[in-house]
Amino acid sequence: MKPPAFNYVAPTTLEEALDARAEHADDCAVLAGGQSLMPLLNLRMAFPGTVIDLAGVGELAGIREWDGGVAIGAMTRQRTAEGDALIRERAPLMTTALPNIGHAAIRNRGTVGGSIAHADPAAELPAVALALDAQLVAKKKRGERTIEAADFFAGFLTTALEPDELLVEVRVPGMAKGHGVAFHELARRHGDFALVGVAAAVALEGDKIADCRLAFIGVGGTPMRAREAEKMLVGAQPSAEVFAEAAERAKAELDPAGDTHASAEYRRRVAGVLAQRALAEATR
Amino acid sequence: MSSVAPAQRFVGQSVRRVEDARILTGRGRYIDDMQLPKMLHGVFVRSSIAHGRITGVEVDAARAMPGVVAIITAADLEGKVYPLSIQPEVPNVARPVFTALASDKVRYVGDPVALVIAESRYIAEDARDAVFVDYEPLVAVASIEHAEDSSRPNLFDDIDSNLLYSENRDFGDVEAAFAGARIVELTLRPQRVAHVPMECRGGIADYNAGSGDLVYYATTQSPHGLKLGLSGALAQPADQVRVITPDVGGAFGQKAGLQREDAALCAVSRILGRPVKWVEDRVENMTSASHARSEILEISAAVDEDGTIRGLDANMRLDVGAYPVLPFPPSFLGPIVRTMMTGPYHIPALRWANTVYATNKASYGTYRGPWAIETLAREALVDRIARELGLDPLDVRRRNVYTAEEQPTEMVTGPTIEGIRASEALERAAELAGEQEFRAAQTKAREEGRLIGLGYSSYIEPAPGPPNLFPSMESGLPPERAYARLEIDGHLTVTTAQAPHGQGHETTLAQVAATEMGIPLENVRIIHGDTQLTPFSVIGTGGSRAATMASGAALLATRSVKEKVLEIAGHIMEIAPSDLEIVDATVRPKGDPAGGMPLANVAGAAYFAAPPGEDAGLRSSSVMHEPPGGWSGGTHACQVEVDPLTGVVEITRYLVVEDCGDLINPAIVEGQIRGGIAQGIGIALLENALYDEEANFLAGTFMDYLVPTVMEVPRVEIEHLHGDALHEVNYRGVGEGGTIAAPPAVLNAVADALGGVEITTLPMTPERVLELIDG
Amino acid sequence: MSIEVTLTVNGVTRTASVEARRTLADFLREDLELTGTHLGCEHGVCGACTVTVNGASARSCLMLAVQADGADVRTIEGLLEPDGSLGVLQQACADSHAFQCGFCTPGFLMTATELLAENATPTEDDVREAISGNLCRCTGYESIVQAVMLAAERGA
Repeated sequence: MKPPAFNYVAPTTLEEALDARAEHADDCAVLAGGQSLMPLLNLRMAFPGTVIDLAGVGELAGIREWDGGVAIGAMTRQRTAEGDALIRERAPLMTTALPNIGHAAIRNRGTVGGSIAHADPAAELPAVALALDAQLVAKKKRGERTIEAADFFAGFLTTALEPDELLVEVRVPGMAKGHGVAFHELARRHGDFALVGVAAAVALEGDKIADCRLAFIGVGGTPMRAREAEKMLVGAQPSAEVFAEAAERAKAELDPAGDTHASAEYRRRVAGVLAQRALAEATR
Repeated sequence: MSSVAPAQRFVGQSVRRVEDARILTGRGRYIDDMQLPKMLHGVFVRSSIAHGRITGVEVDAARAMPGVVAIITAADLEGKVYPLSIQPEVPNVARPVFTALASDKVRYVGDPVALVIAESRYIAEDARDAVFVDYEPLVAVASIEHAEDSSRPNLFDDIDSNLLYSENRDFGDVEAAFAGARIVELTLRPQRVAHVPMECRGGIADYNAGSGDLVYYATTQSPHGLKLGLSGALAQPADQVRVITPDVGGAFGQKAGLQREDAALCAVSRILGRPVKWVEDRVENMTSASHARSEILEISAAVDEDGTIRGLDANMRLDVGAYPVLPFPPSFLGPIVRTMMTGPYHIPALRWANTVYATNKASYGTYRGPWAIETLAREALVDRIARELGLDPLDVRRRNVYTAEEQPTEMVTGPTIEGIRASEALERAAELAGEQEFRAAQTKAREEGRLIGLGYSSYIEPAPGPPNLFPSMESGLPPERAYARLEIDGHLTVTTAQAPHGQGHETTLAQVAATEMGIPLENVRIIHGDTQLTPFSVIGTGGSRAATMASGAALLATRSVKEKVLEIAGHIMEIAPSDLEIVDATVRPKGDPAGGMPLANVAGAAYFAAPPGEDAGLRSSSVMHEPPGGWSGGTHACQVEVDPLTGVVEITRYLVVEDCGDLINPAIVEGQIRGGIAQGIGIALLENALYDEEANFLAGTFMDYLVPTVMEVPRVEIEHLHGDALHEVNYRGVGEGGTIAAPPAVLNAVADALGGVEITTLPMTPERVLELIDG
Repeated sequence: MSIEVTLTVNGVTRTASVEARRTLADFLREDLELTGTHLGCEHGVCGACTVTVNGASARSCLMLAVQADGADVRTIEGLLEPDGSLGVLQQACADSHAFQCGFCTPGFLMTATELLAENATPTEDDVREAISGNLCRCTGYESIVQAVMLAAERGA
């Protein structure tokens, strides 16, 4: 299983990368960590005319403070993010979610931006980005824009990025200090893509929920925020009953698809179970 | 220095493996590691549809690509590779005739249609993508139901249905057994699974145009079987075919016999006069190499109220895909399953029916413990019997298991039962599992809303089976042979018919030979895998025969050489050979550590100046026949916890009590048991070589076909039983038991956790388990 | 298209001209004749092709050779001691009968090498987690886990 032939470009600056992206817009693939692209190439399921390797663009990697939250360069390796103290402090949901991605060897190469731009609905980071209202910074040769996570994931493996744009940075706003997080997923084997999963972040004020984020993976073509369930939980006191009700509300918002590993109905049902477990853990 | 009795020296110890020197350092030599001068690379074009007529193959564009040497189709192989079929013909078994490359039809997704030969693998794949095959699609036969539906097409134009074989047999007095008896029944519908050796299939065909000799380097477990197949398929004289096996990265039965690709590749090397390498990739391996299991077994038992099983009625239906894996006919599995159906229980009657169909799927092949459905069905049925009669499953097993007192006896299907410790294993497993304590814990857990379960499975496996095993199945295998030769420096070369692929035969056979000969372990070299050097065996490594048959043959050959050595030494030293022994490579008078001469000196003398009438070669050939006994077996016990809200099954404890006689190398034996159980767990919970209703294959990658990782395999507790030996060669095979006995142990545990539900399909996915909890 | 790459492999600097699409695995196995690294699936799941790149484990089937330009790559062949004897991890594997057919072995050894470099005193759970991305079909894994624990004990 060998990749098909392609033209290879290895820019060393962001400008070069954006030039290449503009030049080859409709017929190129971006090589970030390669953990999603290389299997597609090896399996000959993708035939890009040009592959743009971003590894040499140093300015695309890095983690910095941003507006009370944290900004993560798109080429930051998942393993780096996993161990980062700033991310753990400002976006603990991401820290909790990251070890669920495959295995160490995958996370050594895989990147934060690459996973988000690939937009696999069974992947962890898109759901985390959605849960935390991340802002995705996209650049092209002449221009830059910021896309809200809620607008970023358009469909199965499809984002709002234009063919001549690159995702350069993931900006994660902070949540209230001391908020609780949980990430629960159900996979057939340890480290597999999740059949269904939940990312939960809950901030309490006193004994009531002040801010609640509930995002699901494996429940549709894109990660899903259960916004009705979240609204229901804000102002409520954490309890098993409240979580059960919220889970039912969330299930109604989901539209999972079935495949050989699990039916739509199973995914919906387990989404509810995991949501309750995640909410309980996030409010412990 | 005290003299250690030779018989104790190496056998029984977990000596370090000879193989590890190269395995651990990256210096193994697997087929894809080999490069020959002027070697080309072959990649197969394979069918993307399950059933259709080939109306055209467009190769011009691909052939014109730089670096492409040839594109071979069935037309190019006409007269070069003969039509393939089961030889000799088996009575009452439909005999498809087919070609190495599909000629008129494709009959499964992955059917090889053309072979691209190029300078590199990369170029060959590019060219493969440029070959276009036109098909006239036909309705697919994707299941047994489809195969029975006469409105669907026949796979083979000259076979007028898709029914290949059927058999009905009665053993014992079936009528009496079932007359007026209570009947308990169950139907098992397990899934198709794949062997998934970590190394895929492959070979390098090297035809020497000057000499007319064909050498085929192949990752195979049956080199002589492959040689035989190639010789026939290519009309290449047997003295001009040589199969050489490099290191083999696992096989589990998938690398046996003649693959169609082997025949095509060798023919192409002969056409081009250059070496050609083919190594399949994982998608091909999942899609096109063989699959196994998926037998539907309807089984019913006639029982007494106390759980005694009076008789069994078993009906096995099986679809074997489109093409047989030569040399196994479509009828090969039935006789073994029916012979083993009663397992470790003294059940006096068996009604047997078996029907085999062709379908548009990959071939059904032999997979580690091919007959395992008998244990799966029988052990699931035993628990069902217990459930319906209100008995403890252990008591039902106790009621029926062979005891020591009743042996020797015969299975109703014929094979002699002697030396099995099934009853002992059952009791010990229950004791180790803590049956009483577990039941108390289970009740308490249920009150807390937790679901835990404990399940057993008991089995025996022919390893190699008693002398009358094969006659009971109306078949036979030649005895096992080995050669031994003392080298001029006193080292020993032992040549085996085995073709190891992880079993450690280079170590275990050396342990046996070195112990027998009285020389250091490192002075023994085991030769295997080259048909020019090794004795004939159609099976190679398979069937759990090595521990007894290969070890026995190696022992006998070595003993024979030793006797010659003692003759010659006796002549030189003027001492009666019966008064001599060999200890630490020294031939010396018994009980005289100071006397004697180095073995090397005896060897040198023999090579250069053998006494009159003696054969200077110091070599021997020996034959090992099945000794009495020949069974391994035991009881597995599995504990699970089931998440009541998600259906996820976790194995919390797994133990095995088994008897495989004496252990040549305990660590190697344990490895075989653990590996087999891991595969069994995969079958129970994870693996599924799934086809859809149009016979499209849905498990072509490791994203869809789920092999257990370390996280899914618990730390198995193993206890061995030992008893009196029935024969000097008291080593018995253990390779297949884990794969056979684990699926029912896990199934019974999950059923137990769920309060005795009837589980009839595998794998037990979380979703299926949740449905059972709901239902 | 052909691109020049320079990288260090097991401590030796290597320079070559490679097609852009050539995987690191094929480069190691064929261009450098280091066949110790094996291909079990070529889609990043089985882990048999695992090497270390700048000390971090990586599936070499999911890397292009050109991506390893300037990197320090280590393979199973690099685990031997300078005098040719087995390294501590390798010796522990021999003593524990860790492997059978050997095809998965290179991936496990390189994964374990990374683990032991990061954590000299792993628990069994740590070891299991670390090797959970490597498939073995022969052993049932227990012997491999014990081998890595033994290697840690011996100061790998």
